[in-house]
Amino acid sequence: MAGPWLEARDIVKRFPGVVALKGINFDVRPGEIHALCGENGAGKSTLIKLLGGIHPHGSYEGVLQVGGKIAAFRRVRDAEEAGIAVITQEFALVDELSVAENIFLGRESRRGWRIDRHRLNAEAAVWLQRFGLGIAPETPVRELGTGPKQLVEIVRALSKKSRLLVLDEPTAALTGQEAAVLMDNLRRLRAEGTACIYISHRLEEVMEIADRITILRDGATVASMAAATATIPDLIRHMVGRDLAALFPRRAPAPTAGIAPLLEVRSLSVAPAPGAPARLRDLSFAVRPGEVLGFGGLMGAGRTELLMHLFGCWGRRLSGTVHLAGQPLAPAAGPDAAIAAGLALVSEDRRRFGLILGQDIGFNLSLASLRQFARARGLDQPREWVANQRWVERLRIKGGTQAARVGGLSGGNQQKVVLGKMLMTGPRVVLLDEPTRGIDVGAKLEIYELINELTAAGGAVVLVSSELPELIGMSDRILMLHQGAIGGEFNRAEFSPERLLAAAMGRPRAAA
Amino acid sequence: MKPSRPPSNLKHLVMPLALAAIAAYFALAEPAFLGPRNLTQLMIEYSITATLALGMFLVILSGQIDLSVGSGVGLIGGIAAVLVFKHGWGAPEALAVGFLLAILAWTLMGALIIKQRVPAFIITLGGLLVFKGLFWKVIDNSTIPVSRGDEDNLYSLLTTYYLPAAVGLAVGAGAILALALLAAQARRERAVAGLPLESRLRAGLKLLLAAIAIAAVPLVCNRFRGVPLSALILAAVAVTVYFLTRHTRFGRYLYAIGGNEEAAVLSGINVPRVVIMAFAFMGAMVAVTGFTMTAYSGASTPTVGDLMELDAIAACVIGGTSLKGGRGSVAGVLFGALIMATLLNGMTLLAVPPEMKFIARGTVLALAVWTDVRFGGQRA
Repeated sequence: MAGPWLEARDIVKRFPGVVALKGINFDVRPGEIHALCGENGAGKSTLIKLLGGIHPHGSYEGVLQVGGKIAAFRRVRDAEEAGIAVITQEFALVDELSVAENIFLGRESRRGWRIDRHRLNAEAAVWLQRFGLGIAPETPVRELGTGPKQLVEIVRALSKKSRLLVLDEPTAALTGQEAAVLMDNLRRLRAEGTACIYISHRLEEVMEIADRITILRDGATVASMAAATATIPDLIRHMVGRDLAALFPRRAPAPTAGIAPLLEVRSLSVAPAPGAPARLRDLSFAVRPGEVLGFGGLMGAGRTELLMHLFGCWGRRLSGTVHLAGQPLAPAAGPDAAIAAGLALVSEDRRRFGLILGQDIGFNLSLASLRQFARARGLDQPREWVANQRWVERLRIKGGTQAARVGGLSGGNQQKVVLGKMLMTGPRVVLLDEPTRGIDVGAKLEIYELINELTAAGGAVVLVSSELPELIGMSDRILMLHQGAIGGEFNRAEFSPERLLAAAMGRPRAAA
Repeated sequence: MKPSRPPSNLKHLVMPLALAAIAAYFALAEPAFLGPRNLTQLMIEYSITATLALGMFLVILSGQIDLSVGSGVGLIGGIAAVLVFKHGWGAPEALAVGFLLAILAWTLMGALIIKQRVPAFIITLGGLLVFKGLFWKVIDNSTIPVSRGDEDNLYSLLTTYYLPAAVGLAVGAGAILALALLAAQARRERAVAGLPLESRLRAGLKLLLAAIAIAAVPLVCNRFRGVPLSALILAAVAVTVYFLTRHTRFGRYLYAIGGNEEAAVLSGINVPRVVIMAFAFMGAMVAVTGFTMTAYSGASTPTVGDLMELDAIAACVIGGTSLKGGRGSVAGVLFGALIMATLLNGMTLLAVPPEMKFIARGTVLALAVWTDVRFGGQRA
């Protein structure tokens, strides 16, 4: 077999406060489908961005070679010219243009200064035919479904003479039949010598299509094997790893069985919009005082939507009830009502949903609880400052001052500000969505300790996490969501990464 | 972000220097510019511009925009004038009706914008046209004086009444005293709570500067006819807006919504209510400006209020308010309005032709924002 076309050696990529890639070693040969597997946060997206030139040469350590030469991509265009095309879950197509115009966007055939529409359409037709796509080149892209759009993206990549396709979760949004068409095409491309990096959570699919499989965990490549010799339990074991526990200082308070639950959800079904099919299906669960209930699942399983709905800012409830300390919480009552009822939400995207980045720490901390400082002659700012200062010190926010602009803080400190803001409202149930994403180990530990303090004081915590070790380490009980429904419930004694992952993939009986 | 930025102090100096340069140019070209008569005139014009700009400030702070205020100024002033002149109403009643109508109309626009999610640009552009049409209908494309005969009423006095010299001085002294007492009290409270304090020197200097600025108004204006009533109106509005933005939940929420609306929602802020309140306040300021502007013109004529929305927006932006929302200060807006008002007043004094006035105002606006982007380290 020929030597590798692409080779990555000892790649390390650091972001402020966190090391995203800690040593990536793998290669791709011409005409090979090479699958990359790993949990959310293992470093797959960072690696793709590096291959596609989004993280430019020089922003990482290690060696990236393409066709035997060092690949010094400074921008996306450089990677494309070297023959690498990255296709992500978000399409880079212009909806209002035709299929042909999209395929040749920026590289249109011209006659003088005018676009030669006929030649454009004719060339596009040839490409579409090669893919067995019965789409007219003049069709506006907005009229296409998700599957055809994905294929148009691939056609566009190939028309740029790409030697390597990088596909990120290409089948996540496809129907079974569309996925089959995609697979057939990938096999044909392989026969023609085009290589492919294939990223998917669907392990069966990976086993079916891939020649080789490389596993990423915590930013490093931990195993690489021929697909023919791999088994799904093997893959899961490598993805999860074995070194858990010690990092997670969960101290569960005395068992509280029999005490009335703080949060109780009964047969909850929620659709994203009126008339749309349900995204959350028939969920029932309860959280007791002092308990940490973990929610796991794959991306898109509905965990974030669940928390957002409980907090009154997502979706339309089709059925079911939510009770907080025995009191019903109306659907879509809004975050103000949820906060007043004793609920708090720390969102997974702190920059978008959590912080006013242009303001200082103090402004952000007290923002959700200004009511308690309101007086007839205006806000009692000295008292507000004192209250803020208590949280700055309790959360050990950097520098111990509340005057610094939030936008300039590290991820860990920003997350502490969001946590502080919600805890200042005096919640009884705290919903945490990926509370440690993208923050360093020290800040992680402090957040775990905070969870312990909250539950020790009789509060309840709902913890959503994509990191299985964290979920296992910090939860007293875990519910795995699979496509919006509960795929399995596990008590502490039953926690095992293999079982949880199997439940997340909707295979409750597999992998014992 | 580029690493090498000039020190941010430069930003604070650019605008005062620009104002000084503008004023120096006018003073050299026409010494009467600095005479008490013209400065009093400027004070009245400044009051009118700044009042509207302070209303606009709250709207822009929340991340919205209002293009309809110029037409609104004409319309509301026109309605009150018609009620007084054609229907024989008393001025206080006519002004009250205009005031309430404005608040109602702006509340409605605010609700359309934030609840129905029609962009503010479109709703208020529609408002600009609709109000202009209504305005011309109401005054029947004619000139409607703000009072009957030559007798003065509350309406006409808005820009023709001057405080007696002694009263002007007393009000000024009272304001300085109140400012000093409030500053001292706030400082005590901060000290008790353990908040960091400004150095005594810095706090004292700031107080001194403010005292000089306040004292200058009666001292200069008394050399002509006295402190104009409209200056007191502006002072009241400025104090109100300052209090709202710096000392109330409403103000915090405006900054939060303008800074990041999604995060504001998740912090439990009732975004629609806050934005609608900002527009309602804008309506009140449109009414006040409508009355003062119309009174200043002596009568409601079809051109009253023309392009005033642009002066108001320009004042905010020159004063450092971000058009994306979430950034800006009352002091900045007052300063921006001073630049716009000075520019217009000086050019009128020099009898600059109208076409050149437009060009100069537009250039100053673009230059001011450019310097902010270039030297301020933040995008407008």
